[in-house]
Amino acid sequence: MSKVFELYKTLAAAFGPSGREDGIRETIASIAGNYFDEVTTDALGSLICRKKAVGVPENVRKIMLTAHMDTPGFVVTYIDEHGFLRFAPVGGLFRGDLIHVQVRFANGTRGVVSYEEKPDFKDLQMNNLFIDIGAANKKEAERMVKPGDFAVFDAPSFEQNGMICGPFLDNRIGCAVLLMVMTKLPETVKDDIYFVFTAQEEVGMRGAGPAAFAIEPTMAIAIDVTDTGDLPEQKYPMDCRLGGGPAVKIMDHSVLCAPRIRSALEEASLITGVPIQHEILRDGGTDTAAIQRSGSGVPTGALSIPTRYVHSPSEMCAVRDVEQAAALLTRTLLHTL
Amino acid sequence: MNQIEILEQLCALPGVAGFEHEAAATVAKYLHPLVNKVDIDSFGTVTGTLICPVAGAKTVLLDAHLDQIGFVVTKVLENGFLRFAPVGGVDPRMLLGCEVTILTQKPIYGIVSCMPPHLLKSSEQEKAVPIHEMLIDTGLSHPQVSVGTPVVFRQPLVELSGGAVASKCLDDRAGILAILQALEQIDRKMLHVNVVAMFSAQEEVTSVGATAGAFRAKPDYAIAVDVSHASTPDAPAGETFDFGGGVMIGMGPNMNTAFAKSLMRTARAHDIAYQIEVMEGNTGTNAWGMQIAGYGTAQAILSIPLRYMHTPVETVKLSDIDATANLIAGFLKDFHGEVYPYA
Amino acid sequence: MLDLLKTLCCMDGPSGAEDVVREFIRSHAAHFADDIRTDAMGNLMVFRKGIKHPAKPVMLCAHMDEVGFIIKRITNEGMLKFGFTGGVDPRVALGRAVRFGQVKGIVGIKAVHLTTASEREHMPKTKDLYIDIGVTSKDEALAKVQPGDYGTFDSDIVEFGDGLLKAKAIDDRFGCAVLLALLRDKPPLDTWFVFTVQEEAGLRGAATAAFALRPDLCLVVEGTTAADLAEVPPHKQVCALGKGAVIPFMDGRTIYDEGLFDMLRQAAETQDIPWQTKHMIAGGTDAGRIHMACAGARTVGLAVPVRYIHSPVSTAALSDMRDVYALARAFLEGIAQSIE
Repeated sequence: MSKVFELYKTLAAAFGPSGREDGIRETIASIAGNYFDEVTTDALGSLICRKKAVGVPENVRKIMLTAHMDTPGFVVTYIDEHGFLRFAPVGGLFRGDLIHVQVRFANGTRGVVSYEEKPDFKDLQMNNLFIDIGAANKKEAERMVKPGDFAVFDAPSFEQNGMICGPFLDNRIGCAVLLMVMTKLPETVKDDIYFVFTAQEEVGMRGAGPAAFAIEPTMAIAIDVTDTGDLPEQKYPMDCRLGGGPAVKIMDHSVLCAPRIRSALEEASLITGVPIQHEILRDGGTDTAAIQRSGSGVPTGALSIPTRYVHSPSEMCAVRDVEQAAALLTRTLLHTL
Repeated sequence: MNQIEILEQLCALPGVAGFEHEAAATVAKYLHPLVNKVDIDSFGTVTGTLICPVAGAKTVLLDAHLDQIGFVVTKVLENGFLRFAPVGGVDPRMLLGCEVTILTQKPIYGIVSCMPPHLLKSSEQEKAVPIHEMLIDTGLSHPQVSVGTPVVFRQPLVELSGGAVASKCLDDRAGILAILQALEQIDRKMLHVNVVAMFSAQEEVTSVGATAGAFRAKPDYAIAVDVSHASTPDAPAGETFDFGGGVMIGMGPNMNTAFAKSLMRTARAHDIAYQIEVMEGNTGTNAWGMQIAGYGTAQAILSIPLRYMHTPVETVKLSDIDATANLIAGFLKDFHGEVYPYA
Repeated sequence: MLDLLKTLCCMDGPSGAEDVVREFIRSHAAHFADDIRTDAMGNLMVFRKGIKHPAKPVMLCAHMDEVGFIIKRITNEGMLKFGFTGGVDPRVALGRAVRFGQVKGIVGIKAVHLTTASEREHMPKTKDLYIDIGVTSKDEALAKVQPGDYGTFDSDIVEFGDGLLKAKAIDDRFGCAVLLALLRDKPPLDTWFVFTVQEEAGLRGAATAAFALRPDLCLVVEGTTAADLAEVPPHKQVCALGKGAVIPFMDGRTIYDEGLFDMLRQAAETQDIPWQTKHMIAGGTDAGRIHMACAGARTVGLAVPVRYIHSPVSTAALSDMRDVYALARAFLEGIAQSIE
């Protein structure tokens, strides 16, 4: 088992859909606590870890590195008289990924997602799906869950051929990258460094903006996942593949990355020999955009882990891309930024 | 330099959204003689400040966006062909056969390829080709282009008859010119309000330049100077405005009603041709973000009627640019910092 | 509070033109306020000192605007082409009476006898609609109205059925009425009572109000959609009239603070106040802006269920209104209790 897979498994086991990130926040705080001078939680639930600069205060820059810690999930909206649960997606879920997947709630209740038979299968919408927790009736169900309870995928993971497959690579693998960079920080640093594990990214990049507003960073880099273009018969294949190295984001649908952050990452690539790819995503929105527009604006860039099957229970990425991302980011943070 | 020469130079500046820094440096030079100080921020937004002699005076922000729509190279294929993606809203239908400039260190000429008609079935000729299936032909076997290089239309300014001009990116270089012309008419020492002129970045994508700039400048009033749709035979008459009909003054929730009425009064008093453009929701301009940035502003929109928006041949009437500039100057000269709603 | 609500619903304050409502609320609030502010957008922010004085006052929020119309053009025949400010389902506008100040009009549609079968199958688009104020030329129309003028539905107040109230703009004059009623007594802690503009246009006013006040805690009082009609399957009804105050856990713009949600739920249960939650995730409130303003705020909501929301015949139950008011009081008391 690689170190990356081990760290990912610990993070993926923690419960943390958007808006209910207590579980993952505690896990990360317990790993990160000793590496930072200050660890706080803000009003929206983002975890802010600060390592103070040693040096002349006037010249100190504030560098913010972020990874969102929330995952997509489900929220119970209604319990019917037979004990079946109606739900709404939390974050972007694709109906094709949900049929007969297993889910779990914070209190350990397990369930399976299924669908109404009457509508044409190809026309199924979210409101034609339901969760079955095996309750005999409404009363029994109400003893286990209530409207407003959140659930996440309950899926296994494996490592094979240098690839990791499992749920929540988006974005626990990004959190893993930050935690790996964290272990490489020297005793003293010349910039004020903030590692921010943001909340509620999947429902609209909600946590990143307020966190950035409070910090007022000089510049920021967000770590997330991005799509690949290496699958059969893709509609709009991106020039990005598993194992090609971490991707430096140029733009996605929500943001145009700051050229100077992009060149700092590219320079680090030349120095370290880490191969990089470039990310131009037609769709998508990430914390990068929210940070960029906070306050009077922040020069922001992003580094992404190429990932297949994003937002499904079985996402896949390459271990080496993750290791290389951590190495690249460390060099960027300490030398080229 | 005369008006057309300045406009031509402005339209020639390469400033695809996200890549405005070079254009920013040039535009700053135009702004320099007209204001007290000029700043360029990390996005490439250029801001010029005019300080009036009245202590505690209110501030009016004038904004026109610096960025233009364009493309970015997404993949370099064999034989010197490039794949590309749009930056901002580009109509794919007019791209085939378009001439473009790839903005490498030493710019490279390119043509958006199209299959010759005799190789297509008649049904294929009728369908619009989506951008991700298009190619740029550089004619080079090994072009020195990297993924992420910006690309612009190659269409210099053309003088039409009737005092009209056609060019790429009159959206919103025409707005920039209107603000520059307005500033030229103002004597700072006679002002009763401070004026901030802002040429903002990234309007075509997210308006982050203007929103961040307004947040920083904290104006009491803000006027977004942009372009809007002038009528053409194929556009619905009820949704377009008169070409040559004068500056368009916006009304609706994104605009402060008293401010808009004040501008109308000024236009009438100075005999400036104007039209009213009512927009009931998101105006799709920098005004949407600026109005609620920070403490918020009393917001107005002035638009220059423009045909063929987001094509290489955007067309405006110079008299409409003049009307816009004259209205801004006329308003600022008389403005003491309070607007009254009375018609 | 009911009389106050009826007065407020009769006023015209479409998104972008809330002046009349703002002035009324200001005149009512002035007597009780320690501080009153407005901002460039037109929000009204009223501060009253409470019994306790925490480092940061708590914020209550309701919006003054209602969905309405704005005149875009006048045709040569004197008909008004218009747009909706805020989200109006065009289907409820057909054949309705509207008003621009004192000028009355109707949203016209040609008589059914003059339609074809295929026309009857499709609803007209907003840009195909027109308002008829009874004149026959553009000049006659311009003597009465102008492009840019704002209007609302023309709808009266009716109490009907078993304790139901029909009026336009229950969303969110109800919230305004609750805030004004709470303002009359010294609150348990220092409180900002914020009346926002342009919520229906995209939660616009709340952005600048929250930026100015930077709350740590906020309660938004709203009207929310109830679809408890016959033949609507129970899981699609969202919420129901007569079942109590709605405490939402999530909507399209906000995941409400878990701790504050639990506090309200417990207060409802201990004080025997009927409550329910929303069974569909849809829509958004000013909380969507407020919880993300500046460095973030813990936010929760309370709402009265409203049938036919955003239409001239919006309908709510008087008992639900009393329940929301009671829970809003409980919220302030609960927050105050948690302060030393």
